[in-house]
Amino acid sequence: MSQRLVWFFVSAVVAVSAPMEASNYQVGGCKPPLTNFPTIQAAVNSVPAGSTIQVCPGVYPEQVTITQPLTLLGVRAGNSNRAVIAINPTGGLAPNVTSIIGQGLYAQVLVQNVNPPGPVNITGITVDGGGGNVGCSTSVGLVGIFYAVGTSGTINEVTTRNHQSSGCGNSIWAENTAGATQIIRIENSSVRNFDNWGITAFSDQNTSTLTATINRNFINPASSALAVNAQGMVGSIANNVVTSAGVGIGSLAYAGPITVSGNTVADVVGGIGVEVTSGTTAASNKVSNMANAFYFPDGGATVKSNTVMNATYAFDLHCFVGSTVSANTVNDSQFGFQYPPW
Amino acid sequence: MSRHLAWFLSAVVMLAMSAPLQALNYEVGGCKTVTGYVNFTTISAAVAGVPAGSKILVCPGVYPEQVTITQPLTLKGIASGNASRAVIAINPNGNLAPNVTSITGQSLYAQLLVQNSTPNSPITVNIIGITVDGAGGNVGCGTDLAGIFYASGTSGTINEITARHQQSSDCGNGIWVENGAGLSQTITVENSSVHNMDGSGIVAISDQNPLTLTAAIRGNFVSDTAVSEPYGSTGIYAQGNSTAITGNIITGGTNVASQFTGIATDQNESGGGGITVSGNVVADIPEPHGESAGISPRNGTIVQSNKVSNVYVAFFPQAITVGPTIQSNTSMNTKYALAFNCIGNSTTSVSGNIFSDSGIGLDTVPSQALIGHNSFYNIDTVQADPCP
Repeated sequence: MSQRLVWFFVSAVVAVSAPMEASNYQVGGCKPPLTNFPTIQAAVNSVPAGSTIQVCPGVYPEQVTITQPLTLLGVRAGNSNRAVIAINPTGGLAPNVTSIIGQGLYAQVLVQNVNPPGPVNITGITVDGGGGNVGCSTSVGLVGIFYAVGTSGTINEVTTRNHQSSGCGNSIWAENTAGATQIIRIENSSVRNFDNWGITAFSDQNTSTLTATINRNFINPASSALAVNAQGMVGSIANNVVTSAGVGIGSLAYAGPITVSGNTVADVVGGIGVEVTSGTTAASNKVSNMANAFYFPDGGATVKSNTVMNATYAFDLHCFVGSTVSANTVNDSQFGFQYPPW
Repeated sequence: MSRHLAWFLSAVVMLAMSAPLQALNYEVGGCKTVTGYVNFTTISAAVAGVPAGSKILVCPGVYPEQVTITQPLTLKGIASGNASRAVIAINPNGNLAPNVTSITGQSLYAQLLVQNSTPNSPITVNIIGITVDGAGGNVGCGTDLAGIFYASGTSGTINEITARHQQSSDCGNGIWVENGAGLSQTITVENSSVHNMDGSGIVAISDQNPLTLTAAIRGNFVSDTAVSEPYGSTGIYAQGNSTAITGNIITGGTNVASQFTGIATDQNESGGGGITVSGNVVADIPEPHGESAGISPRNGTIVQSNKVSNVYVAFFPQAITVGPTIQSNTSMNTKYALAFNCIGNSTTSVSGNIFSDSGIGLDTVPSQALIGHNSFYNIDTVQADPCP
């Protein structure tokens, strides 16, 4: 085959792939000459897999469903740098996913059935649940960002706010059931003003199928809510700042190890700072101003090198044996050990 | 010389050398029943009665005293049985008296006063594991209340203490250390729990140039420090000295403050030294009146690697002759990430920060300020209110 003919064939392949090439697109019109879509939903439906969609500042009153790997990136334009996915004030909010716990959820950003397989990344976007009270029951709830079974990706530098739904308002929720292990990272985000769960990472398998990293977030609920809800995930919850929750960090490590480290948990007045089950290692956290700094619903957790101040109970062990509690510093608490098994 | 004899001689020498220091075991409260402890019934009696340099162990219990320490010593709260809290409390029968005047001219009722009657011979006093409770000590405002006060000419370390409930009509302060003219002093306030003040949590002041106080304020938890308008209050306040404010956690708690500032500094305009504010977390001070600030540096303070969230203004530099350096910090969930009030100059530097989830990123920025590369995410308005 001549070199020219080879060149021709290569060119032909390029010509075929060119229209499908992952690239940059935009929503909102602030980034010419990128191809522009009028809505985020139109963009995530239309771009080639693996693309980056730059979202211009503005308010997008949409429910968005993402079913292919891509990156959604909020960008600055002029003096503004906030792209808000909001509840449509004229209605139309619909339940669009059922969690593996059986609850029908109204998700504002839903990641599900991703095909071809690959990560969905969300960066620099605000998801505002204001006006989205859909009520609260075992079968109804609201969620800002939902990563359904079988999906992976990174949530970075997002803001979620105002997810209040009569006690069933959730901010960010990732889950997985049987099947391949999924990997989720939730980082550097501001998660606030919700009335149920802030960041949820949930696997219902005996051996976890969800590896999650929950790092460097600032979490501040509206009421006595649960800031970090880790159930059956494996991975780490590190360097977050959690204030004013009902429970700061719940680490239910029934399906594999969870490390909770370097977090600041404060102002959980009347509530629990860190709930630690067997399989949890909680190290080097700073926990202050609450009723129960560390709460043990079973035995087998390792709690070491933490600092507790201004708590009613530093370690509430509920008479369960098997936990290791060592090298912690407790200052200014009414009770050091509550219900110790010894 | 046989080995036996050598051992014998060294033992004699050691005993002989240590003997003049007298018995070093002193305790208050009677929980140390083993032989070798001299017992005092009050802390005041102990601190007046022991030889200089002694360590006084304080048993769990409540001590309704105003304590004045005028000689070098260590006061250490200890565990006994199932308790580990020795509380210096307000005497419910009264008798709380003003006992010190600050270099600021402010007179105070100090619950635990460290004072030096011979300024040319500074004293070092360490306080460890003690709780100072100001409940019942409202002496009004004008003459303030302070839990622990280190007056001029004193040095030492305050470690693992609790100061709480110093509330006195908006003039109750937790820990106050200062130095005026004279020999330079070094004071460390660390690992302590300071909460439910209505004035300021931790205060370090010097009025001298060159500086006479080097302070380290680190690893403390300050919360529920609130004051009603029109008075302002701070979690940690450092003025005019060389201070490292590091690794503290300051939160508003349930006692939402008006005009509250997490960390405020007022560095000397000149005279060396410097104030560094690094690695702190300031959070959870929502402010309905728009006056709360996370960190408010004045003059050349260096503010780096702090986390500030859920406050009205994260960084709020005050009047500036030498600009502050604000770098590598993170703020989230604020109305303003950084507001200058148009005060600043070419020595004001802002770089490497991450400002996220804010109504306004940079506000009232003076044209001379050096604004380097910062990251903005989820900011409604990146820069607002330009200066004239």
